[in-house]
Amino acid sequence: MRLNAFYWRPFDFIAQVGLGFLIIPFLNSTEPPISQARVVPEYQNQIAPLLKNRCVRCHGPAKQDGKLNLALGAGLVRGGKNGKIIQPGSPDSSLLWQHVSDNSMPKGEPPLTPLEKGLIRQWIESGAHGLPLTVSALPDGDEHWAYQKGKPVSLPAVKNKARIRTPIDVFLQARLEKKGLTLLPDATKYALIRRVSFALCGLPPSLKETEKYLKDQSPKAYETMVEGYLSSPQYGERWGKFWLDAAGYADSNGFFNADTDRPLAWRYRDFVVDTINKDLPFDQFLREQLAGDEIARYSPKTPLSSEGIRLLTATHYLRNSPDGTDSSDGNEDEVRADKYAVLEGTVQIMGSSLFGITFQCARCHNHKFEPVSQADYYRLQAILYPAFNVEKWAYPRNRDIVAATASEIETHKAALSQHEEKLAKVKNLQREWMQKNPEPRTVLFQDDFDLKNQTVQMLWSTSAPGDDAPLGLPLVQLDSQKGPAVNITSGGLHVVESGALGDRAISTKQSFDWTPDKKGDWIQVRFDLVRGAPYVGFLIALGDYNDKKDKHKGNILFDGAESGQAKVYVDYPGPDGSQPGAIGESGYKPGKRYGVRVTNRGKGAFELTQWVEGNPEKNTLTLKESDLPNGGFGFALCCGRSYVVDNVVVEKSLDALEAAKIPAVTRDLRQARMAEFSKMIQDLEKAKPVPLTKLAPVVDLSPLVPGVFILERGIHKARGEKVNPGPPSALLESDKTDPFGPKPFDLTQSTGSRFALAQWITKPKTRASSLLARVTVNRWWHNHFGRGIASTVDNLGYSGSPPSHPELLEWLAGELAQNGWSQKYIHRLILHSTAFRQSGTPTKESLLADEDNTLHSRFPLRRLDAESLRDGMLFLSGELDLVQGGPYVPTSRGGDGEVIVPEASSGAKRRSIYLQQRRTQTMGMLEIFDAPSIVFNCTVRLPTTVPLQSLILLNSPFARLRSEAFAKRLLNEFPEDWNARLGQAFLLVWGRSPSPGEESAAKEFLLAQSREYTGKPNSEVRTWTDLANMLLASNAFLYVE
Amino acid sequence: MTNPFGPNRRSFIRRSGLSLGSLALAHLLNPNWATLSSEGVSPDFSAGPNALHHHRPTADAVISLFQHGGPSQMDLFDPKPHLTRMDGKPYQGELEVHFTGQKGNVLASPFRFHKRGQSGIELSELLPHTSGIVDEMTLIRSVVTESVDHESALRLIHSGRFQAGDPSWGSWVTYGLGSANQNLPAYVVLSDPGGLPVDGTRNWTSGWLPALYQGTAFRPGPNPVANLATPADLSPLLRKNQMRLLEKFNREHLGRHPQNAELQSRIANFETAARMQTAVPEALDLSGEDQPTKKLYGLDNPETAEYGTRCLIARRLVERGVRFVQLFLAGQPWDTHSGNAAALKGLCARTDQPSAALVHDLKQRGLLERTMVLWGGEFGRLPISQGKDGRDHNRHANSLWIAGGGFKKGYCHGKTDDLGYKAVENVVTVHDLHATLLHTLGLDHKRLTYPQDGRPGSLTDIVVTKAEVVRGLLA
Repeated sequence: MRLNAFYWRPFDFIAQVGLGFLIIPFLNSTEPPISQARVVPEYQNQIAPLLKNRCVRCHGPAKQDGKLNLALGAGLVRGGKNGKIIQPGSPDSSLLWQHVSDNSMPKGEPPLTPLEKGLIRQWIESGAHGLPLTVSALPDGDEHWAYQKGKPVSLPAVKNKARIRTPIDVFLQARLEKKGLTLLPDATKYALIRRVSFALCGLPPSLKETEKYLKDQSPKAYETMVEGYLSSPQYGERWGKFWLDAAGYADSNGFFNADTDRPLAWRYRDFVVDTINKDLPFDQFLREQLAGDEIARYSPKTPLSSEGIRLLTATHYLRNSPDGTDSSDGNEDEVRADKYAVLEGTVQIMGSSLFGITFQCARCHNHKFEPVSQADYYRLQAILYPAFNVEKWAYPRNRDIVAATASEIETHKAALSQHEEKLAKVKNLQREWMQKNPEPRTVLFQDDFDLKNQTVQMLWSTSAPGDDAPLGLPLVQLDSQKGPAVNITSGGLHVVESGALGDRAISTKQSFDWTPDKKGDWIQVRFDLVRGAPYVGFLIALGDYNDKKDKHKGNILFDGAESGQAKVYVDYPGPDGSQPGAIGESGYKPGKRYGVRVTNRGKGAFELTQWVEGNPEKNTLTLKESDLPNGGFGFALCCGRSYVVDNVVVEKSLDALEAAKIPAVTRDLRQARMAEFSKMIQDLEKAKPVPLTKLAPVVDLSPLVPGVFILERGIHKARGEKVNPGPPSALLESDKTDPFGPKPFDLTQSTGSRFALAQWITKPKTRASSLLARVTVNRWWHNHFGRGIASTVDNLGYSGSPPSHPELLEWLAGELAQNGWSQKYIHRLILHSTAFRQSGTPTKESLLADEDNTLHSRFPLRRLDAESLRDGMLFLSGELDLVQGGPYVPTSRGGDGEVIVPEASSGAKRRSIYLQQRRTQTMGMLEIFDAPSIVFNCTVRLPTTVPLQSLILLNSPFARLRSEAFAKRLLNEFPEDWNARLGQAFLLVWGRSPSPGEESAAKEFLLAQSREYTGKPNSEVRTWTDLANMLLASNAFLYVE
Repeated sequence: MTNPFGPNRRSFIRRSGLSLGSLALAHLLNPNWATLSSEGVSPDFSAGPNALHHHRPTADAVISLFQHGGPSQMDLFDPKPHLTRMDGKPYQGELEVHFTGQKGNVLASPFRFHKRGQSGIELSELLPHTSGIVDEMTLIRSVVTESVDHESALRLIHSGRFQAGDPSWGSWVTYGLGSANQNLPAYVVLSDPGGLPVDGTRNWTSGWLPALYQGTAFRPGPNPVANLATPADLSPLLRKNQMRLLEKFNREHLGRHPQNAELQSRIANFETAARMQTAVPEALDLSGEDQPTKKLYGLDNPETAEYGTRCLIARRLVERGVRFVQLFLAGQPWDTHSGNAAALKGLCARTDQPSAALVHDLKQRGLLERTMVLWGGEFGRLPISQGKDGRDHNRHANSLWIAGGGFKKGYCHGKTDDLGYKAVENVVTVHDLHATLLHTLGLDHKRLTYPQDGRPGSLTDIVVTKAEVVRGLLA
């Protein structure tokens, strides 16, 4: 094929499919533009797309009417049950032409246009070029290389065995020899250790490691060095990240703008890092991620073991899909679509990370390129459906479970009750003392909901004082259980929200003056929050809720949430309302007393302060007198605000006359005593037992198998035929046994379908596990060399690129399966090879005969990926924080819009894998160096070269600060000898000594900078910072060779 | 060379052995392949407009004034007398409502409409300035989309798909055309100083196109692009020394890897970055603009000054060869679920004058013929009230206007039903809009593709969307 010459590059995909496919017609100088008549149609660019668009719905890999598959060249050659369909050179005797020319095909659809017919005729007439010459008799699916059962591969013969170390070298050398090439001599020891260290750990080698390797003269020195990095804890971080990207790991739910937090996802990240470090068999690793809960026989009623916790953590793999259902709004159809989107995302992730098949096309119709029918798609969906049942949906948070063993739960329970006892004791003391020594204030209103036979209606109303209009519709039911309602239960006021949209509220019947007369005077409301909700809302100065009177203000809503500040709205609700800001700092959590105080600050200013547990909080807000007319106090019902409050009090400061009656000494004593109490309470709170850890696993919602249906054209409410859970039929074994038969063992919580999938896809010596092994080793090869043996890493199907070295891929896949699915084993195979150890400097011959390095005629030169770049800079500057695991380090969007980790924040210098992976907030530096902003998942990063990267390396605070720290490190380690200091700097950053030219340029530079800095503070540090800055921006650092 | 449209990209790639990154870079910096030598990127960046069109273009730049939230078409662009007659009565017939719990009765527009300009197109009294450019624009009253959910509808109009993660229209245009100014990004987003729009930076993502084609957000203030400025403690001489040293290091390194185009383009990038450091602030500096121009955009009025400033910057950017400029508003202010009328007044007071000024100004400078200005949001709104005085989302009818770039002048396209709920005549899908937009830029939406999931992905994905160029919109 014409394009073969450059078929290996990252660009090969475009060259083959993109440019070759559609852009070429207007670019290709060897062909006239299509406007010029009479060109010979090309199979790949013109005929195949035409057939795919018009014919393969019925004659395709999934649905082969007349045993005819027109999606493949082989299918065209083979023909169907009526025999051959193409006679090259003679369209009139070709069945294909006969059927399209007389419009009998496409059946039941508009005929081909004259232009389309013309193309087909011309193509057959001109000899039907572009088809394979020979085709096997196997049916499609069996025929495609990636879908076959793995088979043993014999090593090809090679003439020049001088550079052969491992079978990998044999496969590569055999191809190289044909071009008169051979594997190159090994790179220098300096280059090798840098190469291996970055490849396995994503960090540059330390000086100590380099020194040790250089000194080691034993024949196994290289292997020893490799083993060192394989057993480093940093290995799991780098190779864990590769899998996390493929699995679509993210710390946020995505989908909607809100992109809400996934606070427990990090446990899965840690599971991955840990498992990869331990080199657990990769097939087992995958089985655990698909069905850890079923393997652990999880039931919510049975306490977990620590192994059970580990297995449940693994299943978070199936929760990596974007899931916006916690932020869904809109009508029924939209909400349903949002739920299905979770299932669809998960199928897509499984497709590219496990199967190397793009399943998503089959959601709406049979796949046009792959042997995947629409029924296959929904069979896969049916495997996941019991956990993601759209009819019994569980929102992300509600899927979380407590991850503790029985003994941990016991211990925690005891500690907690002990703590609560102590706390209650102190609080009792405080209350008693306060009852005896009441704070000087005037209580205006009080309701503790404790009296027998008390009703809400006694003191509260559904309209505000002096206002007949209701506080929103439908009306709140007083003393009713059915929402929207409020009632008194167990001595507290229950606010029951119905989920119906709209704003509603209740109000005190009593009206209050919210603008105390004199400067310093205040009025406040307070209540105990007994049981919380995501949101708590209450209103003061409650009057004209329906906004009928002009210019009425009032109706100040405090919109509190579990965390963060409470938003304040004036004249809520209605179009003329406003949100002047927010107050307080801590969120609304049950078990605490909350309140808001309005203080007269003089000159018509009234300050709102949030009080929590008797303490004022920062962030206040100032309103005008007109904002605060006389009115009631009330609670809001909206938007999931169901909560319980108690001890509602409205009170105001004593007037001056009364206050003057209290002696100063009493006041001081009181203050001291109160401070003592709050200190005691604070100390106790600090000693509160840490809550039991939670997990975000996937478990089936019920052991009953739910009905799952094909959705016609992918439309969520258009149910078609019912399907059973099962794998793609094209990958079934030839005996066609149902791999999803009866449950393998008794599961009380689960349907067992995911366990069946896990077993099926990893069952030795099957087509499925052979495909899995190919997909897996091909991805690893890609991670080592920057290009898979098949370059389309997430797609080994018909539409993917064929492998450059098919036997090598087959052999490696076999090695993986036969060696316990050990990832480290495969690393050793690759890293021990000459292919990995050879020089990266191309020879003239290799550039000529293997320009694009398809044949591995040299080690590829590759830029550091984003994480290695950031982590490497921190490592060199001596600042890298190697703490492993735990919750993510938050990123934030700075004022200039750039996403950063603030330098001073805790964990700012940890490895990139531990930074928050919020989908809509990828750290700027990582993103610009091609780290993905995960939507579904990412198996391949496209490396780009853009000026924004240069700007980061030159000017970013991150680069400048690392340079400065690196300079200080050098000055500290080599305070006297600046020659040695310079040599060390090169060695650290480049992994080699400088050339004479580089060295003298650096020396000249140091002199020039220090001249400029003479007499200025820190001149030496600044000089060396400037040098470090350039070393860290240089290609010799950025590239591994 | 038989291709009249220029040299052969594929053979160029083969010759120079560029990797994707460097190819794409070269493409953006220098779309005229003829000036590239087989050694890689030539230092001569003087290429004119690119040579990669599929057909003769009528536009070479786009300015999208995007109105997040869904502007209410029956209050702004689509007069409905019947709506007034039915005011307050229950709506008869099926309606797709987003917030089903707050469905109200028919809600008339409180705003009067008048015939404007020579064309006599009726516009709302809320748009006095836009009324002044009505004879320059094509007003489409029949745009439809496929979702009544903001994020999905935003993705549909920006990338043609429901889900996040696909390339935006600006990325496609940049991929198709490259840049005409190597010192400025080809795709610039002028974000609102008030904050990100809904769906954030995803509105200008390059999706599965290389990151090179992503929109670059210019922010207000002294540092419009992150890390653009040289650190304050480095004098020009100190920086110059640094750059000389870096050049030396990189040249020696290149010597070990001759013919590696990626390394070469990385070296060239440092030069480009240095030029960006002056080119970007220059493009954003309005001190050279005369008073009448500033007044035209409303820079003298606090209500219009901010949006006017960005509209004026948009003009300066396309003057300097930027291909695609998009203005956003923080959040989604046109999402008028309550107090529709009052909110519209405020929004029009902010955007009407600057938007019209941009069209005027482009015209008086002779730029309008080659620049299309597109004004609109992700969907329209319902003819019934939501709650008391709001309007809910409507995907079945949306109005937007396009001026310049080969679109008809003083022309109104499409029609909605009597109450303005559904487009019923000359319906234009967002996909048709994409096809037409690319068409005016000289790009064939069926042929502008990039590999995705083993097939050629495109903005319009015609197999699914059946998108077509709407010839009726074009002059």
